[in-house]
Amino acid sequence: MNEQTLTFYYYGDGLDEDERRAVELALASDPQLAQQYQRLAAELDALLVSASAPAQAPSHLRAQWHDVVDRAAQQEAALNRPAVAPKSRFHAASFFWGGALTASLVLGITIGVYMTAEQGPGVATDPLLTDADPVTAAGSGAFSRGLLLHFEDSRRQLAALSATENGERSELMLELVAQNRLFERAAEQSDAQDLARVLRAFEPVLLRLIEEDLPATEMAALRSQLGFELNIMLTKLTVELSDKADTIET
Amino acid sequence: MNKTMYKTMNRTLYLLLICLLGAIAAVSGAQDELGTLKIAALEALITAPPSRALPIVQRVLKSDDREDIKARALFVLSQIDLPEAHATLVAMAQNSTGALQIEAIRMIGVSGAPVAMASLAEIYTAGSEDVRGAVLKAYLIADDSQAVYRIAAAATDPQALERALHMLGAMGAVEEVRALGARVEMSETLAQAYAMTGDIESLRKMAFDAAKPEAQVFAIRGLGLTSAPAANAALLSIYREQQSDVVRHAALEGLMISGYDQGVLALYRETQDIAAKRELLQLLVMMDSDAVWDEIDRALDERP
Repeated sequence: MNEQTLTFYYYGDGLDEDERRAVELALASDPQLAQQYQRLAAELDALLVSASAPAQAPSHLRAQWHDVVDRAAQQEAALNRPAVAPKSRFHAASFFWGGALTASLVLGITIGVYMTAEQGPGVATDPLLTDADPVTAAGSGAFSRGLLLHFEDSRRQLAALSATENGERSELMLELVAQNRLFERAAEQSDAQDLARVLRAFEPVLLRLIEEDLPATEMAALRSQLGFELNIMLTKLTVELSDKADTIET
Repeated sequence: MNKTMYKTMNRTLYLLLICLLGAIAAVSGAQDELGTLKIAALEALITAPPSRALPIVQRVLKSDDREDIKARALFVLSQIDLPEAHATLVAMAQNSTGALQIEAIRMIGVSGAPVAMASLAEIYTAGSEDVRGAVLKAYLIADDSQAVYRIAAAATDPQALERALHMLGAMGAVEEVRALGARVEMSETLAQAYAMTGDIESLRKMAFDAAKPEAQVFAIRGLGLTSAPAANAALLSIYREQQSDVVRHAALEGLMISGYDQGVLALYRETQDIAAKRELLQLLVMMDSDAVWDEIDRALDERP
């Protein structure tokens, strides 16, 4: 039984019921495998602890920026109700972001990610940068396995993209962008520059896929190219992990 | 299946796929139905030894295959860490046109190979707007903020400078943006770049410089964009200390952008000016602040 199957088993994903039962039986009957699984689960637990908090940050930031959009809408509504709203010195049109809220949303997310200092309680810090020991994480292979799952998740979500509505598509893509950035930062901290570059290269494509007026043909082409690149990285990482496991065993 | 058998099988599979790709690439006038198979074969190349994969990828790039197939070959090429692979990427970036050239430039960024990265400066100088944009993105991918700084510092066209500044902002290149800030008069773009890098110190300096009122407004909004506590504190100071209505108004915009309703509430409580109180109360309502309802109750209960 290979490590990838055990990883899927750990995450409760990617295995059907029969396969899960087979893993359970194998774990019950093979003490060495059970020990291997325990080690793996401990590493993945550690990864989850370090990844769970930053995963909240992008959604918070998203909420915050959606909030800005809502407030702008409310303000416009208020200004359009002259009987209720007395003359105000505020003018919606004077907001420099008034006509470009979508751009602000993207800019805001960028700020949220690149802000490394002076972060307040409103913006969660990134434990991948502060608490976790990235070198250890990378060395243990947990980082690579986490990244492997990120690539698989991205591929799955990309495949489902054409069936989603515009709003839902933006949500999905923003989620992917946020996850992608977490792994990008982790890769940088782990000195895995080659992976960091690939992850950075994915981002403009993911952001392009958010655009609502993106022509269908272009969306299909982008999805297809990105899907290919994800497949390549999945294969490469799987081989590297497998080679690493071989080295450890021999 | 034991490990040796598994590895032997894998190697056999690689060889089969490599032969298959070679055979397919050799067929002139590539047929559409072979496209999917070619892409699958290219995908398999990533597990082949680089020295074997390289000539096959090069052959695909030289063929008259579809552009999307060549784009995929470029990605495989970016993952081959051999000088010949880097040279091929450079040649593709210099000699291709349209989408394929843009993709080749992107792949130079992905490869991060110093020799290939060095070729980007010349490609930028000679390139169209699209090509220049692609080069900046390649620098972003490779995290080479110094190269973007060099482009910005040498730019004579304001649009080129603006684009480079935005890119530096996205890269979080605090020092480079500051260095440019001392040299250029582009307050809106600068303020945005400072905000993107989270450089509150520079924004604060700009926001308090009454000699440049327009720049002040942009910087104040930039402070709001960062939503950081230090920025919120600066926005409150600006509202309290500045005399200009435009600047104080911008400070309220900044507080609204930041969503800092507690700050607006503090200003509401401390001001004695009825017009200002009314404006701040309206702002709190717009911000959907929970605390505003108590203040409204209190205002309604007050007796002359």
